[in-house]
Amino acid sequence: MDSFSIGISGLEAAMAGLNVVGNNMANATTEGYHQQKIDFRPAYSTRVGDIILGRGVDVGEVARVIDNLLEQQILEQRYLFGQVSQELDTLRTAEAAFGGILAEGTLGTAIDAFFNSLQDLSSYPNEQIYQTQAVDAADVLANQFQTIANSLSSLENRVVLEASNTIAEVNILINQIGELNDKIRDLELRGGEASNLRDQRDQRIAELSALISVETVAREYGVVDVKANEVPVVTGSTVTQLKVSLRSGSLLGISVLDADNYSTQLEGGKLAGLFTLKNTLLKGVSSSLDTLATAIIQKINQYHVQGVGSDGSFSKLTGWSMSSADLDDFVPAVSDGDIYFRLTNQTTDVVSRESITISASDTLSDVATNITNNITGLTASVDSSNKLSIEATGYEFDFSPAVLSAPTASTLTGTSSPTLSGTYTGTDNDTFQFKVVGSGSVGNGTLKLEVRDNGGAGSLICTLDVGSGYEADYKLHVADGIYVSLSNGTLTDTETFDVKVFSSTDASGLLASVGLNTFFSGSGAASIAVCSDIVTTPGRIATSLGPEMMDNENVARMAGLKDELLSNLSNLTPGAFYRGIVAQLGQKITVREMKHGNIEFMTQNLKNRRDEVSGVDINEQAAQMMVFERLFQAMAKYMNVAQSYYDTLYGIL
Amino acid sequence: MAGTLEGIYDNLRFALQQHTEALAELQEQASTGSKVRRASDGPVAAYEILGLGSQVSSLQTYMDNSAEVISTLEISSGIISKMSSNLSTAEERMTQVVSGTYTDAHRRTAAGEIDEILEQVVLLANWQYSGRSLFGGTKTSTLPYKVQRTNGQISSVTYQGSLDGRDIEVAAGVEMPAFLVGDALFRSDDRSTPVFPESGGTGAKAGTGTSTVRGDVWLEVIYEDSNYKMRIDGGAYVTVDGTGNQAVTDLDGRILYVDSSAIDSTGKDLVRVPGTYDIFETLINMRDVLQDGDAEQLSQLQDKAAYAFDELKKLLARASVFAGTRMGSLGQLKDTVENLKYSAAEEAGRLQSADIAEVAMEMAQRQILYEMSLAVTAKLLSISLLDFIR
Repeated sequence: MDSFSIGISGLEAAMAGLNVVGNNMANATTEGYHQQKIDFRPAYSTRVGDIILGRGVDVGEVARVIDNLLEQQILEQRYLFGQVSQELDTLRTAEAAFGGILAEGTLGTAIDAFFNSLQDLSSYPNEQIYQTQAVDAADVLANQFQTIANSLSSLENRVVLEASNTIAEVNILINQIGELNDKIRDLELRGGEASNLRDQRDQRIAELSALISVETVAREYGVVDVKANEVPVVTGSTVTQLKVSLRSGSLLGISVLDADNYSTQLEGGKLAGLFTLKNTLLKGVSSSLDTLATAIIQKINQYHVQGVGSDGSFSKLTGWSMSSADLDDFVPAVSDGDIYFRLTNQTTDVVSRESITISASDTLSDVATNITNNITGLTASVDSSNKLSIEATGYEFDFSPAVLSAPTASTLTGTSSPTLSGTYTGTDNDTFQFKVVGSGSVGNGTLKLEVRDNGGAGSLICTLDVGSGYEADYKLHVADGIYVSLSNGTLTDTETFDVKVFSSTDASGLLASVGLNTFFSGSGAASIAVCSDIVTTPGRIATSLGPEMMDNENVARMAGLKDELLSNLSNLTPGAFYRGIVAQLGQKITVREMKHGNIEFMTQNLKNRRDEVSGVDINEQAAQMMVFERLFQAMAKYMNVAQSYYDTLYGIL
Repeated sequence: MAGTLEGIYDNLRFALQQHTEALAELQEQASTGSKVRRASDGPVAAYEILGLGSQVSSLQTYMDNSAEVISTLEISSGIISKMSSNLSTAEERMTQVVSGTYTDAHRRTAAGEIDEILEQVVLLANWQYSGRSLFGGTKTSTLPYKVQRTNGQISSVTYQGSLDGRDIEVAAGVEMPAFLVGDALFRSDDRSTPVFPESGGTGAKAGTGTSTVRGDVWLEVIYEDSNYKMRIDGGAYVTVDGTGNQAVTDLDGRILYVDSSAIDSTGKDLVRVPGTYDIFETLINMRDVLQDGDAEQLSQLQDKAAYAFDELKKLLARASVFAGTRMGSLGQLKDTVENLKYSAAEEAGRLQSADIAEVAMEMAQRQILYEMSLAVTAKLLSISLLDFIR
């Protein structure tokens, strides 16, 4: 009866083969499915006399056709692709916030328009139309900064939210992989065939690898252990879940769910893309934007505080609210130094200059007391929100560096009196000392004035001839924009007079720090705004530095910032720094686009190779189907022949 | 045909995605005409384009400023020409009066005409353009010349504008004055030694000190209490001490240094201080002499008026040349800036513009590839062993 056994084994083999072919064809388009192959082996043989006879065919196993090395390479490309895709999408959104190249209404055009408006104002510093235009341009600039800063901030928030959603997906996949491992091991321990389950599990691992970098280790009974970002998240059927959270410095961190051992470094997968975006890329763009805004605020304010607008000097100035009353805490930093006030007596029109000394360890109250006690006609106070106010009684005040017409010190005993004028263009505060050489009447003889810097202790700057040939009251240029004239009268040999000249009347930086006579308020891109005093009274734009308050010196130097290389902008102009931000962002996107294309191409190649190895070729399967069909027909025929053989044998018997 | 269904689908999807992305990019280029629309389209080109855009904007501001300065200088130049013309008329009138035989009535009529010219000159010096004073330097919002009148006539004209010109940036680092300083234009500032009458006068000569009086000054010498005494322009008398450098002060505190060693007679000397004439004071002085001067003053004026007019005409000619030169160089500068602007705009356009012919060719190429991808896939799927199984 072996013939029947052989026939039945052949029929069973053909049926099993057809089933495998059917399964393969049914999954021909199933993602992650690996072609299965049936393994036939000759059945155990028996010896009949000297002859060894076969006993048909045994069905060995149904196994997946898989190249594990290739699969690992595809996994690696998947998590790289996940990271780059996420970075690319988000950076493109960030780029959109900056607007198109040469489009109107971008931050770049707002920067140009602002500085151009200051240049226009420098042509007509006292005209309201140009003052209003400058305020409007500054307002647009501030709005552009705020809009981009808010967009980037919102983008960062979305990245954090996306990271939370992604980690939830990661945890779901980790659970599913653990459960499938369990099922595979159970089935294979019982001698079952778990190819389809393995495919399901491997598909989950592939999906996980798109979210986070994954390493797999194959174990017995088809179990695969998984490490995500070096953390063993699946060990057999045991799983470890992960969590993400914002850490110090607003950095995204990842940790095992039941521990607080955060890491801010991730490599590969969408989650790594989100980490890079939050912790490096977007933070970098936001930081650069803040740097630019801060530089413009500080530089404009640094100039602005010293100037005076067409509305003239002040009877009262109030700074902005400070979060601390300690000068040590201020940004921009306050250092030790003097502040010089220019005071105009409202009754006599006499202009004088007085100063206070600021120490970085002072409080605002110390400063207020210092002003009240030491500056005639001024009273200063600090309110509960740390706003410093200065109010004048019988005087008006400002911080103009304009040289005073009368000497700051004099030993002259003759009848001629000197008058100083001009705007100092030197870089350091100084004291010029004028020493009379010879005695006599101005315009006669060989009278001279020797001028030395550093209060007379410095080097000889120039010698001015005020004897014969000098017309009294004629202005003579001394140095660095300063002029002197002498009235008719007499001078005496060796007598002197001093003149203080200022490049800055606030060496401490306090005025710009507390918002006294500033143009911009705020400390970065998100908070920059035009000071409310300037908005409501554009005549407060500090256009002039000279004693007449009609010049354009201050607004011209503010407009000149457009072309100034600023140290806190890496020695670039504001415009160039802005262009750098945009171009660097574009560069990052371009690099990622290239990476994205390369990875996509490489992945496609690897998938093609995998298809060659593990894919289901319908024609190949159809050919196999025909083979198994023929096998089945052959074995059926064989059974018929065997039946006939036995029938004949029974007939003989 | 060989290939798995999944593989064929994947390859088709990949190819179509590549072609679609490329076609979308080409479509955007074709519809906008730009190949660089955002920084990521070409970071280096974008940096350049942004810089050039900023440069174009800045150069446009310079061009606007230049146009404004040229326009202002044109008006100023026209006014200076008009003043010069007025001065010539005044000179003609003076020449007619002092060289002919005129009655007092004629002289007073001539004085009236000079007064009219003075009014005109002051009006021109205070001219405003677009509400801005042209000759007040940085003080553009107020009239630069303040007039004081006595009996309805101008008795003094004081400059109250700024002594600093309003410089406007017309190119990077180049500033040009748009609003001129009247005090520098209409008053000489090249003082020379005062010129006393060489003969027939009081005998006074120029002292060694540097005087501060300006224009024409009347030095009056009298003899009183056995001493010669002298004064200028109604100031206090000082006793002649016979030294070589005696100061005589006028009512405004201005000094004339006189060598009084040779004073030997009384009278009025018209002392001329070359290089210090003021157009207003000169006209006021001439009008007053024509109106109220005595025969001696008229006689001296006949000799000296020509010097004064000559200096003032030179002064206005210099102002006119100054304005004309500025306009000329500004015009050239504006052309240069305009060329730079167009060059920058052209370069930005070159960097930014898409080559439409190239785009069209690439689009056609991509379209063919797109169709081929579909056709090949259809072909792959159309032939199968299944078709032969019966």
